[in-house]
Formats: sequence, C-alpha cells, structure tokens
Amino acid sequence: MLGISLEMRSYIIRRLLLLIPVLFGIIILTFSILQFFSPVQRASLFVTNPRQFRDINAIIQKYHLSDPVYVQFYYWIREVLHGNLGWSQSVSLPVKDAIIYFLPATLELFIFAVPLIIFIGIRLGRISAVHRDKPVDHFTRGLAIAGYSLPTFWLGLMLLMVFYGFFSGLFPPGRLGTAADAFVNSAAFTRYTRINSLDAILNLKPWILVDALRHLILPVITLTVVNIAFVMRIMRSSMLESLGKGYVVAARAKGLDEKTVINKHAGRTALIPVITVAGYLVSGLMAGAVITETVFTYKGLGWWSVSAAIQLDIPAVLGFTLFIGTVVVITNLVVDLLYAYVDPRIRLG
Amino acid sequence: MGELNMESHSSRWIKFKASMAPRIRELRFSLRRIKDSPLSLIGITIIVVFAAIAVLAPVLASPNPRDTYLIPRDGFSPTPRPPNENHRFGTTEGQFDIYYGVIWGTRTAFRVSILVVGSALLIGLVIGSIAGYYGGIIDEIFMRITDIFLAFPYIILIMAFVTAMGASLDSVLKALIIVWWPSYARLIRAEVLSVREEDYVEAAKAVGGSDFRVIIRHVLPNSIYPVLVMASLDMGAIVLTAAAMSFLGLGAPMGYADWGQMISFSRNWIVGPPGQPFAYWYTVVIPGLFIFFFVLGWSLLGDAFRDILDPKLRRR
Amino acid sequence: MRKPAAQENVKNPDTLVYETIGEMESLDPAWAYDTSSGEVILNVYEPLLYFKGGSTDEFEPRIAENWTISDDGLTYTFRIRTGVRFQNGDLLTPEDVVYSIKRAMVQDRDGGPVWMFLEPLIGVGTYSTRDSDGNIVIPFEQIDNAVTVEGNLVVFHLKQPYGPFIQILAQTWASIVDKNWCIAQGDWPGTAETYENFNNPYPNPPLQEKMNGTGPFKLDRWEHEVQIVLTRNDNYWRTPAKLRSVVIKKVDEWTDRKLALLAGDADFVYVPRANVLEVENLEGIRMIKDLPELMADAVFFNFEINENSEWIGSGKFDGNGTPTNFFSDKDVRLGFAYSFDWDTYIREVLLGEGTQPASPVIDGLPYVDPNAKKYYLDLAQAENHFRQAFGGALWENGFKLTLLYNTGNEPRRISAEIFKQNIENLNPKFSIEIVGRDWPTYLDEMIAGNLTMYNLGWQVDFPDPHNFVSAFMSSGGSLSAFQHYNNPIVDNLINSGIVEPDPAKRQTIYYQLQQIYYDDVPSLMLDQVVGRHVERDWVNGWYYNPIIPGTPWGGDYYPVWKGY
Repeated sequence: MLGISLEMRSYIIRRLLLLIPVLFGIIILTFSILQFFSPVQRASLFVTNPRQFRDINAIIQKYHLSDPVYVQFYYWIREVLHGNLGWSQSVSLPVKDAIIYFLPATLELFIFAVPLIIFIGIRLGRISAVHRDKPVDHFTRGLAIAGYSLPTFWLGLMLLMVFYGFFSGLFPPGRLGTAADAFVNSAAFTRYTRINSLDAILNLKPWILVDALRHLILPVITLTVVNIAFVMRIMRSSMLESLGKGYVVAARAKGLDEKTVINKHAGRTALIPVITVAGYLVSGLMAGAVITETVFTYKGLGWWSVSAAIQLDIPAVLGFTLFIGTVVVITNLVVDLLYAYVDPRIRLG
Repeated sequence: MGELNMESHSSRWIKFKASMAPRIRELRFSLRRIKDSPLSLIGITIIVVFAAIAVLAPVLASPNPRDTYLIPRDGFSPTPRPPNENHRFGTTEGQFDIYYGVIWGTRTAFRVSILVVGSALLIGLVIGSIAGYYGGIIDEIFMRITDIFLAFPYIILIMAFVTAMGASLDSVLKALIIVWWPSYARLIRAEVLSVREEDYVEAAKAVGGSDFRVIIRHVLPNSIYPVLVMASLDMGAIVLTAAAMSFLGLGAPMGYADWGQMISFSRNWIVGPPGQPFAYWYTVVIPGLFIFFFVLGWSLLGDAFRDILDPKLRRR
Repeated sequence: MRKPAAQENVKNPDTLVYETIGEMESLDPAWAYDTSSGEVILNVYEPLLYFKGGSTDEFEPRIAENWTISDDGLTYTFRIRTGVRFQNGDLLTPEDVVYSIKRAMVQDRDGGPVWMFLEPLIGVGTYSTRDSDGNIVIPFEQIDNAVTVEGNLVVFHLKQPYGPFIQILAQTWASIVDKNWCIAQGDWPGTAETYENFNNPYPNPPLQEKMNGTGPFKLDRWEHEVQIVLTRNDNYWRTPAKLRSVVIKKVDEWTDRKLALLAGDADFVYVPRANVLEVENLEGIRMIKDLPELMADAVFFNFEINENSEWIGSGKFDGNGTPTNFFSDKDVRLGFAYSFDWDTYIREVLLGEGTQPASPVIDGLPYVDPNAKKYYLDLAQAENHFRQAFGGALWENGFKLTLLYNTGNEPRRISAEIFKQNIENLNPKFSIEIVGRDWPTYLDEMIAGNLTMYNLGWQVDFPDPHNFVSAFMSSGGSLSAFQHYNNPIVDNLINSGIVEPDPAKRQTIYYQLQQIYYDDVPSLMLDQVVGRHVERDWVNGWYYNPIIPGTPWGGDYYPVWKGY
C-alpha cells in the first residue's frame, strides 16, 4: 500500500510542476481583467469623500495606478515573493492579514456543512439506487433536485424571513451574541483557532458552543441544502452502475443477503466518484459561501471577496484569487491522486 | 469509393434508413422511458409552462412603451405595496410592478440561459473535440488552459469582468460564457478520448474516411448524450448564477425585468412592521418561486436524461 | 408613548451599542478624514478646545485651559492644562501639543485633513507639503516654527489671519497625542532628518490601529468589519464617563439593525431615509427630528465639456447633440434653473426633510445673507431663456444630451428625471437621456470632464463660509474644479475673505459671493439636509451638534447614560 510506483511518482511530480504555470495563468488572467479599469476608477476606493478629490492625482501616483501593466505587475509580484500581498483598503488590513482574519469564519461554515452534505448525500444516493424507479427513488431524487434548484440567496432570505418574523432572536445574525462576544475576547477565554465552536470545546465552555451554533444554523442549512443533490446524484448513479456489475450478481447468486451485497460489495466501489465530488465541493462551496455570507452578513472570506470586488479593492481581489486558486488546484491534485490510487484502472495520463 | 458513387439514390436512401434503424429504436426507447418517469414529466411540464409564459409575455403583461425590459414604476415611494387591483403581485421598493417583472423576467431567463449554454457548448465542442481527437501537445495546452479557468474562483472572474465592463446583464452574459465553456470542453474531450479507440472508429478510418467525417459521423453523436444532460442542467444553473449576480448588485440594473434583480430589493423588507412580520412576503416569495420552478424544471429534465440516456444504466 | 413609571428592563445598562454601516479607515488622528474614524477619535482623544454643546461658534476648554488671539489674528496662544494623563499613564506636557501638530504636518498624507493646518500655518493656497510630482517642497523649518512652546504655553504663528483656525483646532485632526508613546510605536521621532521618511506613509501610518488619548474612553479592540469596542477611562481628568463601554457595530443590513433596535440590543442605529417611517412612533423608541445638518448637495454645469465625451451626441447644434460650450451661455443655465422642481425633489428624496439653500453659504454658517434670492420652478421663464440662448440657435435646432448618475444613488437619478421631464416638455427638439454608471466610472467621467452636469454633495470641514464657497465656487475648488468655471472676481473674493480679520468686512465679502452665485448661476444648490436621530428611550444625554462626526446617528458619548 505504501509502495508508490514509479509511474505514480512521476505523475505526482509532473502535476506538482504543472501547478506553477496554472497559478501563474490565473494571476495573469486576473491582472489583465483588472487592467480594464482606469487609474481613476481604481483610485475611487481611496477617495471616499469629495473633500479628497483634490488629491486624486497624487493618490494615483502613490499607488502606481497609472503605471503600465507590466510595471504594476512587477511591483506586485516582487512584493508577493517577499510575502507581502498588499493592502486591502476596503477592510483596512494587509491582504495577508485579511485572509487569515476572515478564514476561520468560512472554515467554521464548511466544518459543519461538508460532513452534512456528504453524509446526507450518500445516504440519499444509496436509498435511491437500491429502490430504483420506485416511489422512494422518485421522492428522494425530487427532494434533492428541489434543494439544488433553490437559489442560495433566496433560501437564505426565506429562512431569515421565517426566523426573524416568528422566532426573532432564536437565530440572530453575526457569529456571536453580545455576552458571548465579550467573554470570548476576555482573559478567561483563549481563542486558539478563532473558529468559535471549536474554541468553545477547547475552552470547555458549552454555553459559548451553543451561542456559536445558534448563529451558524441558518447559514449552514442554506449552504448544505443546495449542495446535497450533487453528492446524491453521483452516489446514486455510481451505486447503480456497481449494482449491475458482475461481482454483485455473483454475490447475489451465492445467496448473500441483500444488505451485505449493498454495503460490502456495491457500496464500497461506489464511493469512488464521491472523491471526485469532494474536489468539486471545494470550489462549489466557495461560490455558495460567497452568496450565503452576503445574505447573512456573516463576515468570512466569501463576504470579503464580494465587498472587495464591488469596491475595486484590487490588491484584495488579487490576493484572494491567488489564495483560492492555490487551494483549488491543490485540492484537484489530491483528488486526482486519490482517485488514481483507489482505482488503478484509471489512466494516469 | 468509386463503387459507392455509382449506386442509385434510392438504394442509398435504403442503406441510410437501415443504418439509422438502431438509432431510431434507441430513440423510441428513450422516449418511452421519459414518458414513464414521473420526474421527467413534471420537468417537461414546468418547462413548457415557462416557455408559454415567455412567448405570451406581451399578451400577459403589455410591454412598457419606454423600454420593454424596464419594469413600469408607479411613483417613487420606498415602501412595497401588497397585491391589489392595479398590481396583481404587488410592488417592490420603489414601486416596480412585480407581476410585470416576473412575466418579462421569464424571457430574460430564457435569453440568458440559451445564449450562455449555446455559446459555451459551441466553444467547448470545438476545443474539446480538437483536443481529444488530435491529442498530444495540442491536448496538453488546451487542458492546461481549461485547468486555469476551472481552478479560477468563477465568482471572482464574473465580478471582476462585470465591474470592468459596467454592471449589466450583457456583461454577466459574457462573463458566464467565458466561465462555462471549459466544462463542456472537458466533457467532449473525455468522450472523444473514450470513443476514439473503439472498433468502429478504427474501421471507419480503415475504410479511408477523412478525419472530419469520422468525427462527425461516429464520435460526436455518441458523445452527445452526456452533453445533453449537462446542457439541460446548466440551463438551470446559469439562471441561478445570473440571479445571484443580480442579487449581489453586479447584474441587471435596478428596475430591469430580471428575477434576481427583483429579489435584491427585498432584502430590506424581510421583516414587516411589528405585529405583521410577513407584511412584505410577496417581494421575496414571488420572484423566488419563479426562479425555483424554472431551475427545477430543467434540473428534473436533466436528471431524468441522465438516467435514461446513460448507456450503462439504460437497461438493468 | 412609554411604559408606565416602573423601571423597565434596560438592556446592558452600562454599555451603549450603536449599529451603523460605516467602518473606520484609520485610528490615527492626523490620517483619518472620514466620519466613522472621526467619531471614534473624538471619544478617545481630545483637542485643545471643543465646541460648546450644540454651538458651532462657541468653545469650551479641553486640553487648553484658556487662549488668546492677537489683534492681528496672527498669533494664537494656549495655556495648557496640567495634571492631565494619557491612557497609558504618561503625563501630558505642552511638548506633546506641539508634537501633535507638527507630526500631523510631517505626515500630511494624500487625501488627508492636514491641509487645514497647512493653509493657516504655511500659507493660504498650500494644500500639501509636496508638489504634483510627489516631492517635498515645504522645508521642515516652516513646520518647526509654526508652533512653539513657551513655558506652559503653546503658541501658533499664522502666516496670515485665518478666521476658521480656532474651529480647525477644535476637531479630531488636532487631537493631542503622546509624543513618547508615538515614538515608541515607531512614529516620527520629532527630528528634521526623519521628516522625509515619515511624510505620506504607505500604505498606512504607525498609529493605524493603536490609540492612546486623554479622552473619556479608551480603545479596547477593533474587530475589522465587525465592531469597535471602547471602554471607560477611569483616570479621565474630568469626571469619568457614566457608560462603562461603547460598542460601535458594523451592521450592513437595515433589517438586522431594525430588529436589534426593537429588541433593545442596539441603542442607536443608523436609519436610511427611506426607512425612517418604520421606526416612528414605536414604543420604547425615541426619534428626534429637525436636526439641520451642515451638508448640502448641488448640481454643477460643465462649462467646457470634453469634446470626446460620449454624452453630448454629435457635439453640435444639429438636434442630435450638444456643443461643448453649451453651459457657458448663461441663458442655458437659467433655463435649467427655472426648470427644476425643488418641492418635488425635496419631497421625494428627503421626505420633505430639507431646505433649498440659496447659495453654498448654507444655514448654520456665519454670514448667511437672509435676503439672498433663490431660483424656483417657472417653466415660462425657462422657455424664455432657452429661446434667447445662443441667439435663438438653441431653440431652433434643439439639443440632445445625457445626464449621468451613479447607480444606487436615488437622489441624483431623481434630479435628472425632474430636469428631463420639465425640459423635454418645453420643446420637442429637446432631448435628455438618463444613464446610470457605477461610482468609479462616474468619478472617472467627471474628472475627465466628460459629464454634462454632475451632482456632488459637501460635508462641512469647519463651520465657516470659506469651506463651502471655496468648494463650490472657486476655480480650483474640490467640487467646482471639474466644471471649468473660472471667475477671477470670485477667486479674489474667496482669497481675501479667508484672510480678512474684520468680521464686518468678511460679511460684505461673503454677501457679495452669494449675490454672484445667484447672478452667475454656475451651479444649482439642490438641498440642505435635515436629519433625524433614533435611539431607545432609556438613553439620556445625547446632544446634537452638526459638526460632530457621526451625527446625527452617533456622536459624543461622554455625557450619555442609560436608565429612566
């Protein structure tokens, strides 16, 4: 199992090396799009008030906004190689700090959403496949597709409407209530990860955990419901495929009970495409997070990216793109490797 | 080759029908499966209803003389008004008629999804089939390019593009096409790759058919099924994404007949005055239902296609 | 309508929560020019003196015990209070005062407030320590000599009389900082050699996120985009504040803020104009109306439109466009002036809560001419002027132009609609298109000179007519620069008005300017805003002064307490 073949090794190395041009391509693409903006447009982020109009040319000069593209690119790349991703004017933080600052909130959403999506999706997929074309199948498929068809922001708004209207105060906006927030920032509490639910457990403070969960429920539901259908669908079709396979028919002929057939034989191989889904989930969830965080005004990476893009906060957009691009590309690589590892029949090139 | 040219037209027609017979049989089988599947029937019904609304839009809601896609306003008051005789579905903040907006928004939805899916499909088809068929370095280059696009956080690309070109539905359209074509290219390429090695393609090449003819006649038709599935699912996904862009303020301008745009108004009105929490429900619920059902219809259809047309799953 | 006498449950009785949409740009008093930062700085730092209560021309001592102004208006002398401590324990000395002012002038960032020190202390017309290429041109000696210590006194040496100087010193950019502490944070050491290093810092100054003031509150923490928390300074030199802490939260959605207000979780909230009626007359909520703000909007005519502008059609009088000098003809401007419906505008945009100013010298400023004339809707006169414009060529050929507004800005769109509606009705050959563009594009077009007319608003820097007339009328004014209106008489009056020490003579000058504004009509004043303040009724002690950053929603938290 640990013996990585030569073929595999060269595949890994090749893919890792290809990472660099892909990332470079992403950055070039972003940079070139951003060049559509004139210097004044990009300076508008720094000039929030007519009182500052007088200084607009000076600001353009100061931030190199009218320098030729390659000059701006050179400055930016040089700084990046020194570990400096620039300054995000829209949130008054260095870009690197902003990423670290907003990341825990988004991670916290994912920590709850991803297991739910995968678990529920797999279960529904199995049920659907085993009872193919029966009412149960139609019902679960319909349900999952309905979930997928819900616009994320609309689901969020509807949830807000119901919970604000009926049970106001039950699931409030933000990440923590006033009392919890004060406690979390006091000396009695250590913020290890700034993921509130996790920190609450680490600090052994159940009431903080409850408070954090209360604020998480609605955004997590919104994020989860929309994405379950993907996992379910893939699980279902791969399950159906393997249920029709030779070895399953043989197992049935041998007289094994249905449960063993499904779980042990068909089920396991059916998990393979789920790995592919996991790769999709990362970028799909990011998009979902952008909208969910905006609807719930939940200040995470997704919220920041929208806010920065709307305000033409170029360094933020570039930094965020670099960060997410890297994450996605690496995830794709890991997924491909897992895929190839689990199913040797898959061609590696 | 010379021999074939000398055959009469009628016998060529008989040969053609014979070669198509299996295809027609498969088609009939597919149609029967569609008929039998309740989910796909529901999907088709929904889509037909929406198509009818789109076609009949001028009858259902007489067009605004100033600009068809600009929702008529009844004053400027910021508070939405509930459904009444003048406004069947009520008005949004700024007094835009919701009924007009959702009816003409249907046309907008169709326009956006058809244009984007069509263009992405075409571009993806061309690039994917070239890459898949010729392989080698061409394939490598194309696939790295699609890698870049697929790895790109598509929301950021769309946001950046739209802001650069001025927020409008057309900018969103163009940005969506740019973002969407890689997945079609990938799909076509995969299909071409798997079919390329099949026996009948080798046989066709042996007989001496040109590359182009081989692709057109053998490879593409067999590759079409998964594309069909993806396209019908995408009809819904595109509308969802475009609506999200409008909701974020990066799409259709205020007052445009676009479902997502109308919901962006409603953010301020999800809670009514004390004692009447759902007073403004219509601003949120109605446009959202339109989006939901439109996407549902296409997704049900796409999912049913997947079930029906996947050769591995067709016959159990 | 309130619940009966029994003490209602006051939520968080010693914490004031203010939910709003703004976010601070910087906590450095010399850097910050936006009101969100200003509001925080106001409560943590203190200047030499401050506005008394709701007045904009009476002052009370803070760091200074008293002050004198020389007869020639060139020397301001302040006696510095003793026994005042900064929040870190350091004792305040006159040296700190001098350092604070010099540090600001040394920093002088682009787009910052320090020009308000440079004009009086270095010379009128000096808006920056650098030239247009970014090179420093103001030698350090001039900064060094501008303000000096003499025993327990701090003396300012102005280059010429400057009426509003005392008002400038009363605001957040004149906050007194702790020299030793600043240097320990990596800020300017106070020497001439380091002047260049600390000039116009990039991307932000050393004091960006840290505060150490003498004021009634100190900084507890700043959670970007979420909230800023201030806690009481128990060693404040006056009686410590009653509130134990102040939390200013950034809550972007009106619905969230409204719910918090209704639930009592927020004590002050920012209410957008469109939503004020939703919280009027509700139990437990107090609304204070009729708060005249020192803020005004105007629409400016572009006298020389860029010939490449896409908003002027063919660029000629052929019925398909507008010539680039369209608005240089006064009859055209008068035609537009008589076509504007102020009543409808103020009613639609401000829900009636606003007034039409006659000129940039708005109500609340000194030297407002009570007899100043205004324009009004009169389509007959409008038609008259259009007929006379360009010797009749305008009326005969008609014109076509586009008015731009920045998307989301309803007031600007409505003003454009009003012009369109009224003017198009006068002559079928008149055509006005209305187009929306996002703010950065709008700004770009305006600066490039492409816009035919543009709307801008101004918020007061210091309550003196100079601030407004120079912004609205001077050839290099922050707002008027883009309209290419060059009237040398106006410029001369503005320049002499600011240095004139005699109040009577100043009044004459500003009355003249107001008359010229009416006669020349380079722009049209659209409105002066009247605001409201919304709070829970258990809040006491909030007071209104239009000059305080953050009003009328937030403000000065020192006198505030909660209870019945």
